[in-house]
Amino acid sequence: MKAIFLGIIAVLALAPNAGASPLTATAESYRHHLGDDIGQALAGARMLRERLAANDLDGARRAWIAARAGWERSEVFTSGFVPELDEQIDAWPNASHGFHGIEASLFGASGTDAGAETEALVAHLADLHAQIARIELAPQRLLNGIARLAFEVGGNKADGGESRLSGTSLDDMRSNADGIALAWRVIFADAVEAGDPKLAAAVRAAVARLQDDVKVARLRDVDGEKLRADTEELVALLEMAAPKIGLSKPALEEGAR
Amino acid sequence: MHGPGRRLGLCNCVHETMTDYAKRATAGFRPCIGGAATALALLLALPHGATSFPIDGDQGVLPAGSELNEDAVYVPHELLHSEYRGDRTSYVVALGNVAFNSPSILGDVARRAGISCGTCHIGGAANAKLFVPGLSTRPGTFDTSGPLFNPKGDNHVFDPVRIPSLRGVRYLAPYGHDGRIASLREFVRNVIVGEFAGPEPSPALLDAVTAYVQEIDFLPNPRLGARGRLNERASESERRGEALFAKPFPHDPDLSCAGCHQPSGAFVDHRQHDVGSGGLYKTPTLLNADFNAPYFHDGRYDSFEQVVDHFDRTYELGLSPQDRADLVAYLRAIGDARQPYDADSVVTRFKDIENFSLLLAQAIEAHDRDAIDLAVDTLGNELRDIIERFPDHRDTAVTDGLAERRMARAAVKDVVISLRRIALAASAADFAAAAAEYKTYYGLTFDKAQPLLRGTERWSLFNAPLREAHDAERRKMMRVPAQPQKSAGAPQ
Repeated sequence: MKAIFLGIIAVLALAPNAGASPLTATAESYRHHLGDDIGQALAGARMLRERLAANDLDGARRAWIAARAGWERSEVFTSGFVPELDEQIDAWPNASHGFHGIEASLFGASGTDAGAETEALVAHLADLHAQIARIELAPQRLLNGIARLAFEVGGNKADGGESRLSGTSLDDMRSNADGIALAWRVIFADAVEAGDPKLAAAVRAAVARLQDDVKVARLRDVDGEKLRADTEELVALLEMAAPKIGLSKPALEEGAR
Repeated sequence: MHGPGRRLGLCNCVHETMTDYAKRATAGFRPCIGGAATALALLLALPHGATSFPIDGDQGVLPAGSELNEDAVYVPHELLHSEYRGDRTSYVVALGNVAFNSPSILGDVARRAGISCGTCHIGGAANAKLFVPGLSTRPGTFDTSGPLFNPKGDNHVFDPVRIPSLRGVRYLAPYGHDGRIASLREFVRNVIVGEFAGPEPSPALLDAVTAYVQEIDFLPNPRLGARGRLNERASESERRGEALFAKPFPHDPDLSCAGCHQPSGAFVDHRQHDVGSGGLYKTPTLLNADFNAPYFHDGRYDSFEQVVDHFDRTYELGLSPQDRADLVAYLRAIGDARQPYDADSVVTRFKDIENFSLLLAQAIEAHDRDAIDLAVDTLGNELRDIIERFPDHRDTAVTDGLAERRMARAAVKDVVISLRRIALAASAADFAAAAAEYKTYYGLTFDKAQPLLRGTERWSLFNAPLREAHDAERRKMMRVPAQPQKSAGAPQ
């Protein structure tokens, strides 16, 4: 039954002007994963607020890290669909608001009170969480998000990466890779498999390589050149896959096409 | 190549600060002469404020506190001999240039740290800011026999040496501070294999890197005439300094400054001497030396004044204050250069990109997979670095031109992926596909990306005030605790 269903999806996906894309259905099934990830980020931010109120610095740091994991998995979605909130939540470099502003307070030398920034972070994440229930998850934009994030992960983090003060840059990269793997598997993998199994296998292998590249003990163990090559190959494969499922070549910057 | 181009927006490195640049400008130049006017004009165009981002934390490959100076606002001007002659760079030299700037020819640690030959020798000049804790005593020095990059080559002595400029290096044999290696080719091999634990380079690759290094010229000095003599532009003080430079030492008439630093021979004698610095070290050139600080084999001195004082003490020269001032004036005159720095910009970056693209085309035609990989690797790093100079919406310090920045970023990303397709085609030995993709790459690069970048540059981090705003945020954010916090950060 499932195979038949997938076959129908593939046929519809390959048909030109097929109207509502069957990918819309798979994108819809991605929605709850997205909700879970942003929900984890929100729960972490709320815990962070609570721990700060209790003057529990270690607990606050753990909560920040937990919030960060959910956020990073959802980056397939965030930078393209909600750039304004993305800027508020994950501005970089920025020491005054968002995750990294709070990171500077929690893990840096400034020792400033992160209460106001955390309150704002909770509010922004709550806003985002609410939006996820109703926002249109256009498959093209989700494919854009996968490709864009893959490209970004390929950037060199040998100097300590984005979350340097907390020491969690490698976690960021792993969460990004997991987010890419999840979105691809849930939304696009079956449709490509039905139309071009060989290409689907190639994408699957490229995603697995990306996950392996960041499955190392320490950030310094990441082979940056291999990671870059692997992520770029993944993007190239996604560009090949797009027309096979009725989509355009993914835009590597939202709003640039 | 103006930088190894690897750090992207996450880099930690130092900038050529205004203070430093002012020092260089005022120490090395005089207004209205050659590089001086350019330097001062650039100086006036710059914002105030020093920027420094040592690599912090313990997550990276390099020790905390490392500085690579890859974000310098001004980069040393590189002059290749072929360029000086007005000729096209040869395939071999272009291949060597690409390899010189690719971490892939070095060992695993350097590769993971994104360090290439060009990291220490930016555009062939010395990286006077480079500092790696445990391997440097001060900026611009490096222990090439330390434990980090090649543990097997560790001599267990902390003995950093000054990072040398490679300008005019073909005239400066023997090689190494103590002149231990006669051949430049052998010296290059020793750096790759011995110091940085790289794989044994193929003869062709070694020839190429050597050919490139040999092409790096001294920068022209408008104040020097034939036989290394000062020309008519010299001041009285400089002329007095020139005479003192050639004057025999009072207690050892067989010696003089010019006896070793022979003006007609690039100010070297190709020999080693004990000048009271702790051993036998080869005579360094004084050409373009205004830009080669710190001085002496171990970089112990920051200024010509200190150098002159050293010789005055060591050889009991009995110099008067005026003599010292005159000698320093002379050293500055002969160490000068026209256009010592270029502003880092889209234009300067694309000079390299054009050269490397030409190499890539030739490599595809020659079915030379190694050269294709090197070109793709170096071009890709350079292009990714450019992307990060055009921040996206997350950078709150840069607010204008977001749509244009996105267009430019997207265009360059497309170029990077096109390069990857070339590499993939070449790795499958499908050189026809690689050649076809190269045409796409070329159009994307020079017809689309380059104009977009040029048109958007005012909203990029190549724009000094925006760069300063961006860096101000980084400075605020990167403050680290005096004591490392281990309690909650994930182990890395």
